[in-house]
Amino acid sequence: MMQLIAPVISNKEVTPGMYLLWLHAPGLALQAEPGQFVMLRCGEGCEMLLRRPLSVHRAREGQIAFLFHKVGKGTEWLAQREEGDTLDLLGPLGNGFSVNPAAQHLLLIGGGMGIAPLVFLADKALERGADVTLLYGARAGECLYPEALLPSGINMVTITEDGLPGRSRSVVKKGRVTDITPQFFSQTDQVFACGPVPMYRTLVSQIKSLEKPLQVSLEIRMGCGVGVCYGCTIKTRLGLRQVCQDGPVFDINEIIWEEV
Amino acid sequence: MAVQIAPGHRNGLMLRNPVMTASGTFGYGIEYAPIVDIQRLGAIVCKGTTLEPREGNPQPRLAETTAGLLNSVGLQNIGVEAVIKEKSPIWAEWEVPVIVNIAGESVEEYALLATHLEGVAGVSGIEVNISCPNMSAGGMEFGSTPQMAARVTAAVCAATSLPVIVKLTPNVGNITEIASAVAEAGVHALSLINTLEGMVIDIKRRIPILGSITGGLSGPAIKPIAVAMVYKVAKVVNIPIIGCGGIVTASDALEFIMAGATAIQVGTAHFLNPNAALDILNGIEQFMEHEGVHDITEIVGAAHRCD
Repeated sequence: MMQLIAPVISNKEVTPGMYLLWLHAPGLALQAEPGQFVMLRCGEGCEMLLRRPLSVHRAREGQIAFLFHKVGKGTEWLAQREEGDTLDLLGPLGNGFSVNPAAQHLLLIGGGMGIAPLVFLADKALERGADVTLLYGARAGECLYPEALLPSGINMVTITEDGLPGRSRSVVKKGRVTDITPQFFSQTDQVFACGPVPMYRTLVSQIKSLEKPLQVSLEIRMGCGVGVCYGCTIKTRLGLRQVCQDGPVFDINEIIWEEV
Repeated sequence: MAVQIAPGHRNGLMLRNPVMTASGTFGYGIEYAPIVDIQRLGAIVCKGTTLEPREGNPQPRLAETTAGLLNSVGLQNIGVEAVIKEKSPIWAEWEVPVIVNIAGESVEEYALLATHLEGVAGVSGIEVNISCPNMSAGGMEFGSTPQMAARVTAAVCAATSLPVIVKLTPNVGNITEIASAVAEAGVHALSLINTLEGMVIDIKRRIPILGSITGGLSGPAIKPIAVAMVYKVAKVVNIPIIGCGGIVTASDALEFIMAGATAIQVGTAHFLNPNAALDILNGIEQFMEHEGVHDITEIVGAAHRCD
């Protein structure tokens, strides 16, 4: 964990409302693992007292990227940052995805903004020669993450609720990502998912037959990000857990989904 | 910059400087150690501790407000036995004194908590939380009437040989009555204020945002209220006051000191800046140098001179 001031390299709206922010932060880029997150200070002075947790989207050559959706005051402020501005970061925090070094076939399931940490996971897995399939679902074609930014060599299946492809050149199916997940389970060694809670609930019902580990990343309102404020506590089958410190990645079976 | 916060105690409680961390915002001191030089702090007050482990309140527990933070954590903690077993051996190795914040659901529980902590190496004092707004039983109720506050204070003081601080709630009609009653009951210092009861509503869903409906408000939004309360309490008690409530900068801290606080606690500011307490300490040092203040006690209560 470190606290640092990082200069903005670029901040672009890659899809309506979705921003890709690159920062110069060599130490952080070196330490960060897929699934970990960083707390970003937003706003001037004390207007916003809580930092915003964003999962690491990418890290390479001394740079770190975050992918975020403009949803409130904090992200609205972040969306306005430009090259030359600096941001105050605290991270990397939490426990990331735990990848079995022997796993050759990884299945990643992303819903909406859930694609953010999965791209970093794919980057790292592809680097070591693993085979990565990403099942990516979005509300509408126009919300899709730009295909051109994905790592080369990734197998991707895209599905949108409106059935439209947006700017994607691939074939896009109509429906939800969980409509297609079961057919991919058998050919994979490990499964990783990030998306909204309803997506996880459907996955839970699907994996009863799946005898493979499935890790999910949870999103929750956080205060400190380091386990001191107890603002992000959830009940799990193993007892109370802090999402910031014990997660944000958990085994899907550990979570009591009725209570989330 | 050393300050004595328990002059009425037989050994006293001397802090190397007046900047402490507020309970519930700095964990057990261990969590921020990788990025904060914690040994430079005046003191660390640990997370509120109860007799048995507590699960706390339902989610959501946090809501950001304008320059404020509303929380309804509900004293989730590992319980006093785990604190003694897992945390105190670490504290015993530290230079910085650690004060254990305790909360009970009855007078007897408060006394029992103090008894448990008696003689535990690594524990330098007790802060009695009679002001938590997030407990269904106990907590703030004990801080709401002078009689109850005095009973809890007397029971804890009788059960421990450690210096005792009582943390007061602002959610009362007249905080000076409570402060006087607690001081008369034999406490060594007062800390004030805890959070103010507050609420936020999600207007789209037409429901309260917090899982337990109301919570405690902290942060700069409450600072002027806290300064006024410290000022008023300083007029009626002769024991040290530890000022707390929305301190983010050294000038905030100095306001509390000039209102009558011997020491201060930094809380919510840690979430914005984990090094807030030490930055404030540096700022106080700079102010003293610039203003020719040799001893911090020279300016404690300075604002009262213009009455």
